[in-house]
Amino acid sequence: MSSPANKKGSFGVAQVILFLSIAILVIVVAFPVLLILFNAFWVEDHFDLANTISILKQPMTYEALTNSLIIASMSTIGSTIVGTFFAWLVTRTDIPYHNFMKSMFLVPFMLPSFIGAIAWKMLLSPNAGLINRFFMDHLGFDGPIFNIYSYYGISAVEVMYLFPFVFIQVCGALERMDPTLEESARISGAGLLTITRKITIPLVMPSILSGALLIMLYSMAHFGTVAVLGIERGIYNIPVLIYERIHQSGGSFESIRMGAILATVLVISAAIIIWAQRKILSTGHYQIIGGKSFRPTQLKLRGLRIPLMLFCFAYIGFTIVLPTVIIFLVGGLSTYGLPFTPENLSLANYKFILFDFDVTRDAIFNSVTLGFTAAVITMFAGVMISYVIVKMKVRGKGILEFLGMLPFSVPGSVIALGVILAWSGQFGINLYNTVWIILVAYIARYMAFSLKANSAALEQIHDSLIEAARACGATMWQSLKDIVLPLAKPGMLAAFFLIFLPSLRELTVSIMLYAPTTRTIGVAIYTLNEDGETVISCALAGIALIIIVLGQFIINHFNKKAGV
Amino acid sequence: MRKKGIMLIVAAVMALMTAVLAGCGGGPKQQSSGSGSGGAAKSGNKLVIYTSMKESLIGGIVKGFKAKYPDIEVDYQSAGAGKLMAKIAAERQSGKILADVIWTSEVPDFYSMKSENILEPYTPSNIKELLNPFDDYDGSFTAARLGTLGVIINTDKIKEAPTTWSDIYTKPEYKNAFGIADPALSGTSYMSVALLEQKYGWDYFQKLHEAGARIGKGSGQVIDDTSVGELSACLGVDYITNSKIAKGAHLKMCYMNEPNALLMVPSPVAIFKGSQHMDAAKKFVDYLLSAEAQQMVADAGTVPVRSDVKQDPKHGLPTPEDALKNGIKVKYTEILPEKENTIKKFTEIIGKK
Repeated sequence: MSSPANKKGSFGVAQVILFLSIAILVIVVAFPVLLILFNAFWVEDHFDLANTISILKQPMTYEALTNSLIIASMSTIGSTIVGTFFAWLVTRTDIPYHNFMKSMFLVPFMLPSFIGAIAWKMLLSPNAGLINRFFMDHLGFDGPIFNIYSYYGISAVEVMYLFPFVFIQVCGALERMDPTLEESARISGAGLLTITRKITIPLVMPSILSGALLIMLYSMAHFGTVAVLGIERGIYNIPVLIYERIHQSGGSFESIRMGAILATVLVISAAIIIWAQRKILSTGHYQIIGGKSFRPTQLKLRGLRIPLMLFCFAYIGFTIVLPTVIIFLVGGLSTYGLPFTPENLSLANYKFILFDFDVTRDAIFNSVTLGFTAAVITMFAGVMISYVIVKMKVRGKGILEFLGMLPFSVPGSVIALGVILAWSGQFGINLYNTVWIILVAYIARYMAFSLKANSAALEQIHDSLIEAARACGATMWQSLKDIVLPLAKPGMLAAFFLIFLPSLRELTVSIMLYAPTTRTIGVAIYTLNEDGETVISCALAGIALIIIVLGQFIINHFNKKAGV
Repeated sequence: MRKKGIMLIVAAVMALMTAVLAGCGGGPKQQSSGSGSGGAAKSGNKLVIYTSMKESLIGGIVKGFKAKYPDIEVDYQSAGAGKLMAKIAAERQSGKILADVIWTSEVPDFYSMKSENILEPYTPSNIKELLNPFDDYDGSFTAARLGTLGVIINTDKIKEAPTTWSDIYTKPEYKNAFGIADPALSGTSYMSVALLEQKYGWDYFQKLHEAGARIGKGSGQVIDDTSVGELSACLGVDYITNSKIAKGAHLKMCYMNEPNALLMVPSPVAIFKGSQHMDAAKKFVDYLLSAEAQQMVADAGTVPVRSDVKQDPKHGLPTPEDALKNGIKVKYTEILPEKENTIKKFTEIIGKK
């Protein structure tokens, strides 16, 4: 069973990699989280469980947990259906413009969900939402057609912005899948349904599940959408409750402790989710890159081709174009609440935030540099750690995987809290109030993305390829360099995007860590919005969207050149 | 050969991690400002102000201060009072408060900071010219603005301005359409909840709840929600409303015609003990309380602490003396220990489904 990487002699190197992987995760991830746990249970030099339990017993805690579960389940189910369906549509059918659609379906991944929530609030708030108003004023409806301030509203918005997690994974799996498997089934007389059920779905199931898992974890720990759409109607989940608690009491140590306790509830939920996923995945393990060249066959949609295409365009228009347009329009208003008429619209806000407003200029620069640096570091660290987890059969790597998933399940604000406790001088290193502390927090937070993407890619590299290389006399390094790394490159690049683009609009971590000169884009947008500078924050959101889309465009261009 | 290759990756990763953790130079970027860490970096003359005042107010004042003292570098962080206190708490735990000056509207915070002995007493040189709302003034903090709150109405939705606090729950146009900012986020909102409770008891909020009042978010956002028509009216802060009216928002700020029922919330300014820029901090406090800066306070659409500055009648604000006289009286030291309970009770009553 043991893989050649470990068996053939290179014992020392393997140990070093393992040690280093653990060291990185412990220092960057586990240490801050442990400090949180320590602060959750340790009151003034002694272990105090009674206090912890009394907080957990409060009805608000139950309600927050229930809400977290309801919203996360609805979002996960919705996103998985939407993501899988569209992934299948653009990769395996002859739907027109599928390349264009594929890139459009990835757009929401770039859009910050809290900006989406702000946009949807403008469109679907019950009294003033533009869509609701249209129905009430022009079509004779008595009340709003949809109230965005509800479980359905929150989940719908989360689905719109989270489904690419599944979409991206399933697309990858479907594209890389060996079509001869399906063909041979068809030749043997299996119908489309049987093929889908027995071949296609089992083959892409790991990708679907790992995407769904990402969404579940993300949604459980997600702050932005619930904060924007839920608070006013008393809907809050655990991250929002933590945020509220910490701010409610003017940030007393007591409330920071309380936040830490609530966060441990999330950490435990995450552990359960990860355990469940491993349980499911261990029932079937597939390596689907066979090392042969292939081209997936496409299903002919025939009569459904045009209706499905129109459906996709309508979906794109409704969920991507409409909110984006609203953000840009509101960003052009002189003050929020005025109608969108030419005399009320101008570029003044855009000019102000780009040239005259230090806060927003700093924010853009900080976010771009932070995002890039975090992405590069995390990508390299991630591929190394994933290699240990996936390809090296060493004891204790489960701990490694759990360590890597940890920050993803802890709300950003709590990671930030942990990072503050760890890196502000008490242990010899003081990064507080510098960009470095945000960078460390980003690395901790996004390590999970990198590990997921890299291990998914590494898992699909069949051991036989490495074995073949080793049998032909290649050293371990040569087989790594010539076989593993080239095949892992898509995973590494995926990791880079999965980190760089989200960190451009990261909010929950940086809001706790920013200093006067280290505001990030997300912080600037959120605080301006919360301060009631709606038009300025929308203008900045618009600029951020342009930067993000531009960044994506440049990256795609490079990828094409590199032939990936 | 193979070991060398692996070690290369290993070394690269190690180098990256070290670079990050040590925060050593040569990284992609470090802000030009002296980082506040460890005192090793030269923090120069950079004065840091934490404030809950919005850009439209603090921006101009800092600009004016910079013009007067070009050799003092100033930076400010504008956020809700709750957020700032959370930041200060975290900073205290890590051993050093990075702000030199704090200026918010959450008066009880100042009393608690005073009792925790982290404020540097400083009586401004121009104290005699100022109106002081604090009976127990000892220089720990000085009011730099007499903020007022009123009922902000959307003039497209509500034609007749409210005149009493009971209008909000008796008149139909406020039904399900009145918002109050989240007191957990906004210091002014917390203070106005405490003041209204003092004056009218929890019964008042019970009635508001029955009339469908809602908890909004930040103090600015409820005003934008009112402006767009999601709410018809809200409890709002003077200068935020006035800056939006100046830009054309269909809003009106209304004060109630009841004796001693004005929501007046002083915004104290204080200097932290152990500030590295004590001299600059004192200069800033003096400047903030000078006629020049207080004129900016008045022009931004809120009530100054000096009676010698001009108030633009278009804002319809009370004079500083009237604000002081008509404000709902409260013993800050008494409401201080109740803060968490007040917010909790408010949330329970208004947020009840």
